[in-house]
Amino acid sequence: MSRLDKLLAGWTFRTATPTFEAGEEITAYVTHRDDDGYSVRIGDSVLRIDDAEGLEIETKVRVRVTSFDDATYEGTGEVVDVLGTDV
Amino acid sequence: MPEEPDIELSFRGGRLVSALPIALFIAWAIFQSGILGIGDTTGLVAGMLTGLIVGMLFVRGDWKDYADVIFAGMTRRVAATAVVAWLWAGMFAETIQVGGFVDGLVWAATILNVGPGLFPAVTFLLAALLATGIGTGYGTAIAFTSLVFPAGLLLGANPVLLFGAILSGAVFGDNLAPVSDTTIVSAVTQDADIGGVVASRVKYAVVAAALAIAAYLVAGFGIPGVWSGMPHADVTGQVDASVSAWGLVHLLDIALVIVLAIRGRHIIEAISWGLFAAALFNVALGAAGLVDVSVGSMLLFSAPVNGLTQAVASLPVVGAFVETVPAAQVGVGGSIYSGAAGFFPLIVLTLLLVAGAEIMRAGGGFDAIQELLIDRIATTVRRAETTMVLGTALVNATVTINTAAEIAIAPYIATLGKRFNINGYRRANILDANTSALGYIFPWGGGLLAGLGAMQGLVGGEATPWFTQQMVVNPASVWPYVFHGWFLVGVFLFAAWTGYGREYVSDRTSEEVSRV
Repeated sequence: MSRLDKLLAGWTFRTATPTFEAGEEITAYVTHRDDDGYSVRIGDSVLRIDDAEGLEIETKVRVRVTSFDDATYEGTGEVVDVLGTDV
Repeated sequence: MPEEPDIELSFRGGRLVSALPIALFIAWAIFQSGILGIGDTTGLVAGMLTGLIVGMLFVRGDWKDYADVIFAGMTRRVAATAVVAWLWAGMFAETIQVGGFVDGLVWAATILNVGPGLFPAVTFLLAALLATGIGTGYGTAIAFTSLVFPAGLLLGANPVLLFGAILSGAVFGDNLAPVSDTTIVSAVTQDADIGGVVASRVKYAVVAAALAIAAYLVAGFGIPGVWSGMPHADVTGQVDASVSAWGLVHLLDIALVIVLAIRGRHIIEAISWGLFAAALFNVALGAAGLVDVSVGSMLLFSAPVNGLTQAVASLPVVGAFVETVPAAQVGVGGSIYSGAAGFFPLIVLTLLLVAGAEIMRAGGGFDAIQELLIDRIATTVRRAETTMVLGTALVNATVTINTAAEIAIAPYIATLGKRFNINGYRRANILDANTSALGYIFPWGGGLLAGLGAMQGLVGGEATPWFTQQMVVNPASVWPYVFHGWFLVGVFLFAAWTGYGREYVSDRTSEEVSRV
C-alpha cells in the first residue's frame, strides 16, 4: 500500500453492517464459539463457520464466504487458512 | 517468537482479585497525582511494585507461578518495542531542542506580528508543529509556556485562553507524532505499524484541529485579554535581538522521520536518520555561530580534573566531548544522554504495568471484565466503539500520566475491537486520541501540570520581571479552553456513531507490528 493510499484510506462513513458476496475471500478474527461451531462477526454482520475445529477466539483466519443474506446481514463461510493469533 | 505455554493463576476471592495489582496502582496514581498533586513517574513505579507484592498474597498455590507470570509479562514484545521506541524518540527530541528549534518557533510567532486576537490560534498551530516534531506534549507545554506564553501576554492575549491553546497544540502532537510515546503504545498494543497508524489518524486530527482553530479565533476576538492593563511592549523588536530563526532547519529532519515512518521504515531506522541529520545541522549551525549549540550539547563527559582528563580534553575530536569540572559536577550529559534518560522511569513503569496486566490475564480478571463488557454493554459495533472512546477517556481523565493510563486500557481496546473485527489502525486511533486529549485538560493532568510548573518559573524570572504570582493561571479554570482535546473526543464519539473512518479487518489488515 503506498503512502498516499494509507493517508486516504478510510475517509468514509462505513456501515455497521458490511455485506459480502458468495465466493469472496476475507481476512478476519474468529469472534465467537458455541456448540455448533464458530462465527466471525464483522461490525454487526455475522458469518457462521461450521466446518472448522480447534480454533481459539481472536485467531486471524482467511474465510471464503459461501452465502450471505443482505437482509439479515448473516451468512456462512469456510476457513481456507489459519493465520494465527497476534503477539 | 515461540509462544510459551500460558500459566493460569487462581486467586483467593475469585477472578476479579487478579486485577488487584493494577487496581491498587490506579488508586495509588489517583491519590498521588490527583489528590496530592505529585506528578512523579518514579512514584508511580513504587505504586506498581507495591501492587505486585500485595497481589501475590492472594494467590492460591505456588507463588512461583505468580513470579513466572511477572516475567512472562515483562518479556512481551509490546513492552520491548515501546522501550526501544522511547529511547530513540527521546534522543531525537532532545537533540532538536538543543539545536534551537523552540527559538525558531518563537521567532516565527513574533515575526508574524499577530495581535492579541489572533495570537491563541497561531500559538495552537505552532505548538502543534513542535509537538508533532518532538513527540512530547509535556515538553511542548513546558517550552511554549516558558517562551511563547509571556510573549502573548505582552501582546495582550487572554492568559487562560493562551494556556489552553498551548495545551491543545500539545494534544495534537501527542496524538499525531510518530515519535510520541502515546502513538507508539497505541500502535504496538493494537498490532499495527506506526507509519500506518499516523497516516490513518490524520482524518480525525485535521477535523478536530480545524474546529479548534475556528474556536480559538472566535474566542481570541470574543474574550477580552484579562491583563489588558499590562504594558503592551513591542516584543517583536525585543525577541529579534535574542532569538535565532535558524533552529527552524530542524523542520527538515522532523519531516525526514515522518516520511520514513509513513513509508514503513522501522522506527529505529527512521529516527536514527533523523538523529544523524539533526546532529549534522547542530554542528553546522554551531560552527557558523547561528545557534548556540556544539557537539558537547549532544554528548558531554564532565570528568574530574586531573592530568589524564585534561590531556584527553585537549585532544582533537575526542576532546570536544570531554570537559573537566570540579568533583561535585562530574557526570555525563548532552541531549543523547538526557533524552534517553528522561524516559527511564516511564520504561520501568511500563514493564511493571505489562506484568500487572499479565497477572490479570492469568488470573481470569481480564476475562471477567471483558465478558461483562461484551455480553452486557458492547452489544453492537456502535456501542462497542462508543464504549472504547468513553472507557479510554474515563481512565485517562483519572490517571495523571496518560501513557500509563493508555497501557492499562490498551488490552480492553484490543479485545473489544477484535470482537467486531475493527481493524488495528482504527483501534489504535480510538485509543490514542482519547488518551492524548484527556491528559491535558483537567487540573491533575500531567501535561497541564508540566505547563503550570513552567509558568511558576516565570514568576520573578530574569526574562520576565513583570510576571507576578497573580498572573499564574488557575489550573482549574483551563479545562473549557483546551479546544482541540474536546473536539478530538467529540470527533471520535461522532465517528463511533456514524462510522466515519471505520475500517474492518476485512477491509484492510494493519501491517505487522515489527515494521514499526
